[in-house]
Amino acid sequence: MSSKTASTNNIAQARRTVQQLRMEASIERINVSKASADLTSYCEEHTRNDPLLMGIPTSENPSRIRRPAPSYREVVKWILPSSQQSK
Amino acid sequence: MAADGLHENETLASLKSEAESLKGKLEEERAKLHDVELHQVAERVEALGQFVMKTRRTLKGHGNKVLCMDWCKDKRRLVSSSQDGKVIVWDSFTTNKILTASGDGTCALWDVESGQLLQSFHGHGADVLCLDLAPSETGNTFVSGGCDKKAMVWDMRSGQCVQAFETHESDINSVRYYPSGDAFASGSDDATCRLYDLRADREVAIYSKESIIFGASSVDFSLSGRLLFAGYNDYTINVWDVLKGSRVSILFGHENRVSTLRVSPDGTAFCSGSWDHTLRVWA
Repeated sequence: MSSKTASTNNIAQARRTVQQLRMEASIERINVSKASADLTSYCEEHTRNDPLLMGIPTSENPSRIRRPAPSYREVVKWILPSSQQSK
Repeated sequence: MAADGLHENETLASLKSEAESLKGKLEEERAKLHDVELHQVAERVEALGQFVMKTRRTLKGHGNKVLCMDWCKDKRRLVSSSQDGKVIVWDSFTTNKILTASGDGTCALWDVESGQLLQSFHGHGADVLCLDLAPSETGNTFVSGGCDKKAMVWDMRSGQCVQAFETHESDINSVRYYPSGDAFASGSDDATCRLYDLRADREVAIYSKESIIFGASSVDFSLSGRLLFAGYNDYTINVWDVLKGSRVSILFGHENRVSTLRVSPDGTAFCSGSWDHTLRVWA
């Protein structure tokens, strides 16, 4: 690569960086207080629908239903649709 | 005669110094709006109660390190990949496209049927390690994290980076959108997780402790966004109160690095995968 091309590439790169930064610098922003308030109220609004926060009765949580540990064959059944299982 | 490629009054040096001063301006503008900390606003929120979680299932069967997993939409089944498999991210609103992140520093959007490259995303200075799609209500964007310590938010249609964040001190291993789409969390080799708000255009919380010195490999939110689950290279999972910035719980069980972690679509449990060849379902 000639030094002429190299410096053209550097300049093109530098110009792209400046353009990108100009664009990023000019976006509209809001205060952290407003953003935080929104994040906080989203959490509060959705707390009721968050099973990991609320806890659900053991009898209703599919992950907590007690059964003996599945064998590998059972796990395969659980993961693959029946058409893909070998007999 | 103008020198190669330069406009009047431009030199490489002047472009570089303009870039530097723009970076400074970005920081200034962001700092102006930093009127309060998230955890201060959250002080009025009720504290979380005691948090109890245990392994409910241990799935053995892989022959090598577990690298990646996800839940199926039917909420019952899991899909996982191991060092002998492949990694694919499916676009949430159509199953015909794939979004990939690469060690070549770029991200790419492909059409599966034709194998055609639809859009490529350039901007990271090093390997891109992770990406996450915005929740479908919030538009066609995704966030990526890389070895250049940057998290970048992209417009999928134009290929343009719309926002970039460089506050981590090491590789970013995992990024995940907050459920509302207004923020995202990241996990890094610098042993911290961080929350970035997209409308404030800045980091709003850091989740760290002096005692945590190993990298965070994978993060995910509970359904309401109140909890952040993070898997670490010290074999543990830390559960963070997203709003207050404090740790709620630490979960033990894996016998090697936790490499991947996802909350189920119905939010009743989460699954972690590890280099110990197992996956654990926690509830």
